[in-house]
Amino acid sequence: MIIGRDLTRVYGMGAVKVRALDGVSVRIQKGEFVGIMGPSGSGKSTLLHMFGLLDRPTSGTILIDGVDVGSLDERSRTQFRLRRLGYVFQDYALVPELTAKENVYLPSMARGMTPRECTLACSEILTLVGLGNRIHHLPGEMSGGEQQRVAIARALVNRPTLLLADEPCANLDSQNSRIILDLFQRLNRDLHQTIVMVSHEEWHKKYFDRIISMKDGVIEKEERRSEDGEIAPTS
Amino acid sequence: MLEESKVAFFLAKRSIVRGNKGTLSLTILIIGMVFVNLIFLPSIITGVAVLFNQQSIDYSYGNLVIEPKKNQVYITRASELQRKLERIPGITGVSPRYLTSATVAYKGNVVNPVLYAINPRDEQGVLKIGTKVSSGSYLADGDTGQIVLGFRLAGNEDEKLDVVPSLGGVQVGRVVDVTFNNGVTRQYRVKGIVTSNSFSVDSNAFITKEEYEEVFGLEDLANQVLVRTIETGKENEMRNTLLSYGVQEKIWTWQEKSANFLNQIIGSFNIINFIGTAVSLVIAIVVIFIVIFINTVYRRKQIGILKAIGIDRSIIIKSYLFQALFIFAIGTLVGGVFLLLILQLLAANPIVFPGGPVAPVVDVVLIARSTMSLFLVSLIAGYVPAWITTREDILSAIRG
Ligand SMILES: Nc1ncnc2c1ncn2[C@@H]1O[C@H](COP(=O)(O)OP(=O)(O)OP(=O)(O)O)[C@@H](O)[C@H]1O
Ligand SMILES: [Mg+2]
Repeated sequence: MIIGRDLTRVYGMGAVKVRALDGVSVRIQKGEFVGIMGPSGSGKSTLLHMFGLLDRPTSGTILIDGVDVGSLDERSRTQFRLRRLGYVFQDYALVPELTAKENVYLPSMARGMTPRECTLACSEILTLVGLGNRIHHLPGEMSGGEQQRVAIARALVNRPTLLLADEPCANLDSQNSRIILDLFQRLNRDLHQTIVMVSHEEWHKKYFDRIISMKDGVIEKEERRSEDGEIAPTS
Repeated sequence: MLEESKVAFFLAKRSIVRGNKGTLSLTILIIGMVFVNLIFLPSIITGVAVLFNQQSIDYSYGNLVIEPKKNQVYITRASELQRKLERIPGITGVSPRYLTSATVAYKGNVVNPVLYAINPRDEQGVLKIGTKVSSGSYLADGDTGQIVLGFRLAGNEDEKLDVVPSLGGVQVGRVVDVTFNNGVTRQYRVKGIVTSNSFSVDSNAFITKEEYEEVFGLEDLANQVLVRTIETGKENEMRNTLLSYGVQEKIWTWQEKSANFLNQIIGSFNIINFIGTAVSLVIAIVVIFIVIFINTVYRRKQIGILKAIGIDRSIIIKSYLFQALFIFAIGTLVGGVFLLLILQLLAANPIVFPGGPVAPVVDVVLIARSTMSLFLVSLIAGYVPAWITTREDILSAIRG
């Protein structure tokens, strides 16, 4: 469970200030698949960076699993990212010198698992994302869709509490996008993986349990999708 | 800690295996050359020092030099002292001698060398001058009216070839006039010329002690007594032994006698060596620094990603440290191989100094010191750039 309270993020010192987040309060339940939508520059990525501990809010607090992550020092935040968070970037952000398998292996190794456990976890997760047989290729030798699935496998290998994805399909065609979204949906339904994903594609909406729409650094509206697929504003 | 190192090692290994081999090989080569440079010059300098030391012992002083008591010109009852010394275990040769300055003249050339008056057989038990006769022959016990000259003193007919004032190319069998400092002048036939490569020998002259005593009307005295011992390097202990045997004269070791000369030479060599070492280490530090720095800057985004997925900064720094140490280790190895080749080459074609061929002295201390300093330099040159680059915050690193 994530709770964000009164989050602001102000860029720039002096006269020209950009309020990328201007007082956002948000609550994400365990097992939810949440979509963050909104026009370009509305603060979606900025909010996700806060949840991913990649940046600190100018003011406000974030609780993840009851931990006030703002109070952690850099080292603990790094540990927190390693053990509890999985982050998927728009441009995959794989380590180019490592093969698919090694990219996934790395976080589990850093976590202190034995080589056996790592190998097991890796092949399990790579099979899950549908990359059982391309694991010895370098990122440069894989398609965008494949790379993104490696990135997802890497984000998942340490069984994070929270999976964060910032426009993971932005560089992919619709077919590959669907593969990724279906994968997310499976992870969410079968493994109860909590997912927060940024998107600006209307058709992605049908995958989300809940949609948070942002505009100019604030939450404009929230919608919830019911069991039968109807999307309605939350009360 | 160990976990961290494992991950760092993993990253470093992949980086090396999948990184640019050309740059890596060049860097390794440079470090190898630096290693050679760190060892080679000092080994030659030590070699020269060893050579000069050996020369001091073999041609000037033996191991110990006994000189008159304070305020006395001569050692009295020299033969009694000699016999006493010869009975001390560990002593293999004793040579009493006189030293004086004299004027030697030949065909209008007048020179003032040091004249040594020796008992040839005793002298040969201590010094090796007698084995270095380049023409004629060495003095023998009982020789009178004969003189042996150093080749520089004998000189050349062509004055330009001389490095010290000389007799203008006197040859064996010719007669020279020697004027002693008591005013007596005598004629001596040149019995031999020595070429020892020891400067003090080659520019001076030798007659027998018998002759000298006859000229001066002295008996059983000496200005110094040279002592040769079995072992070199135990001079201080031998001095104590001599004292315990009741030797009352002043006892010097060859190191003390040659200290000034040698220290000057080694001193200037050491300055050269220090500069050479400093320059080498600076080159090493700059090269490794640049390579690691470019590596990290080039991988700026990658470093951001690693931090974003939860790899601690210290692990990333360590992975670059490992790369620097890899360069150090292989570089040192390559340098070691080069050094072996050079040493082999030098063994076949030695560098000849005035005084003889120099054998480079590569000892454990020198190797350890060079390896250690290169190791430290690599650590610093790996750590600092990695530390600088990994300081950047995650988002700006990822954005690139
Ligand atoms: N490092 C920065 N320095 C200054 N301003 C920034 C910085 N990062 C973001 N901003 C500004 O903050 C605002 C929100 O940016 P953010 O990246 O969160 O938008 P977004 O909703 O993710 O947009 P997009 O859909 O284009 O990705 C924008 O006005 C942006 O210009
Ligand atoms: Mg964005």
